[in-house]
Amino acid sequence: MHLTKDEEHVLAGEEGAARQKAMELLVSLGDIYGAERLIPVKSAQVSGASFKTIGDAGIQWLEDMSEGTRASVPSMVNPLGLDMRRWRSMGVSPDFHGKQARIVAAYRSMGLLPVYSCTPYLAGYRPRRGQHLAWAESSATVFANSYIGARTNREGGPSALASAIIGKSPEYGLHLDENRLPKVEVNLPSVPEGLVPLAGYTAGKVAGNRIPLISGQAFAEDEHKSFGAAMAATGAVSMYVSKGTVGHVRSRGIDRSMIEERVTISSRDLRRCAEELSGDDEWDLVAIGCPHSSTRELAHMARKLKNRRPRRNCDVWFCTSRMVHSRCPQHIATLRRFGKVLCDTCMVVAPIEEMYARTATNSGKAMVYLPTLGRQTASFRTTDQLLEAISR
Amino acid sequence: MSFLGGVDTSNGVVLDPECSLIGESVRGRILCFPFGIGSTVGSYAMYQLKLNKVAPRAIINRSAEAIVATGAIMSEIPMVDNVDTSLIKSGDRVVVDAANGTVEIRDVTERHVVTSILRNRGRVLILKRSDKVGSYRGSWAGVSGFVEKDEGDEEAARREIVEETRFTNARLSRRVPARGFRHNDSVWTVHPFLFDVSSRDVSIDWEHEAYAWILPGELKDYTTVPGLGAVMNDLLSRTSP
Repeated sequence: MHLTKDEEHVLAGEEGAARQKAMELLVSLGDIYGAERLIPVKSAQVSGASFKTIGDAGIQWLEDMSEGTRASVPSMVNPLGLDMRRWRSMGVSPDFHGKQARIVAAYRSMGLLPVYSCTPYLAGYRPRRGQHLAWAESSATVFANSYIGARTNREGGPSALASAIIGKSPEYGLHLDENRLPKVEVNLPSVPEGLVPLAGYTAGKVAGNRIPLISGQAFAEDEHKSFGAAMAATGAVSMYVSKGTVGHVRSRGIDRSMIEERVTISSRDLRRCAEELSGDDEWDLVAIGCPHSSTRELAHMARKLKNRRPRRNCDVWFCTSRMVHSRCPQHIATLRRFGKVLCDTCMVVAPIEEMYARTATNSGKAMVYLPTLGRQTASFRTTDQLLEAISR
Repeated sequence: MSFLGGVDTSNGVVLDPECSLIGESVRGRILCFPFGIGSTVGSYAMYQLKLNKVAPRAIINRSAEAIVATGAIMSEIPMVDNVDTSLIKSGDRVVVDAANGTVEIRDVTERHVVTSILRNRGRVLILKRSDKVGSYRGSWAGVSGFVEKDEGDEEAARREIVEETRFTNARLSRRVPARGFRHNDSVWTVHPFLFDVSSRDVSIDWEHEAYAWILPGELKDYTTVPGLGAVMNDLLSRTSP
């Protein structure tokens, strides 16, 4: 990789050990992926924020890195293992909270923003088309690339932190035009109500590591959010192309020259998938908000629940970002009659296995992680089905 | 291998049943494996090994990927990639120079060997090694032999063809890059060649006891010297390796 004089100085350790290590990370990843240089990024988004996922080693690493280093671009953080204000009522142990607090302190001392969300683009940090980013959260990466048309690889936690510190990322993968072309067309002629997350779940399996061109039914913004999140959870790809989004390379029309396969996912396929993922009818927890709910989604749920009463047959989590939470106090008040509205965290990275065994969700992404990382019996239901189930 | 869940971070013992090192500790050793797999959290698991003082001394990979490379830098473990890891066996003494990206296997001698595949109208010649030769008796092979001192590899290939088959007008069709194979304390560096010959009249010498003209797909029915299938694949595949 070709480095500038300044970058060479950082790599030689002239600006301290932590910046040196950050530069080493970026340079060796650049070498592995054949990047020729580092390019500036507008923002970073760092994963590896919950004590549950990074453990004691993660705390130590962040505390070591935080000595004398500051982020040099606006940098957000992924959800934590708890709501910073309501962790006790969530049922999180003081021990876990203590460890989580050290992680938060390390990120804060490096100047990272206290935005603990998988949807920074809804929380005041929306990138623009064409901007280069170093984001780590898979669902945010796919949204930024596909819906917004920004450019980021799916970074690992340490490499995103390195980019936050250095302000640059190696130029390879989705930063380059030639790697943003769709290779497989996934046709979704009609997606039944509430099953957009499962369309993403199925499309991710079809796509594998190829960028899919999604044709057929058009999605609204929130549908893109849940579609992409599920697709990035079952597939190894951080971008798709579709009408009505701007991620593709050419400003006029979509380049189909690389399409090697066409697959149709019918409404019948999606209903069968919903059936296969339907799991149990008995739940300890209903978890909504993976990715974090938008204002529109909270409003939709509040409207549906407004004139109903809680059943109190199980716990309910509505997960969102603190920024969105602060924007709609009336909706929040309605939802709080039915369960907990949690910020800074979600069902995927909270220590859910210490509190529950059976969880129902409307998220295709959570259906991937709840059974593995969360050790749950997971049941998929549409949003409206869940709202029906928790109210009367 | 995967470091997350694949290695016990308290003592460095490999837990992954898919990994041939299961039950052994990576602590203080040079860890050699083709490539890493699994979740990005694997990098933190490597850092945990370092904190617990049970990390490997160095890592050798065939192809580095992001998770292991990130973990190695976090943990300050020297790492070299682009190494043919099949040449290294558990228990070898190995010198790793991460600054220059080199790996030296001690106590092993490298021997250069030529292997030529002779082709005639779609069939290829294989030879059964006699019981008078020093290695791989009874196995089927191409036309092969050591490269002598001060001899070029193509020169050696042509000399062996004349000695072992009596073909004097073999026409070189293709050569592909050498491949290494580990055999006990030797690394055979095999230089593969493909020659076309104008007949199937073969006259074998003492080194062989039989020969056969086969279709390339039939090779799997024969017990061969190690790597003959891979060499033949390289030579006969349509695209250049």
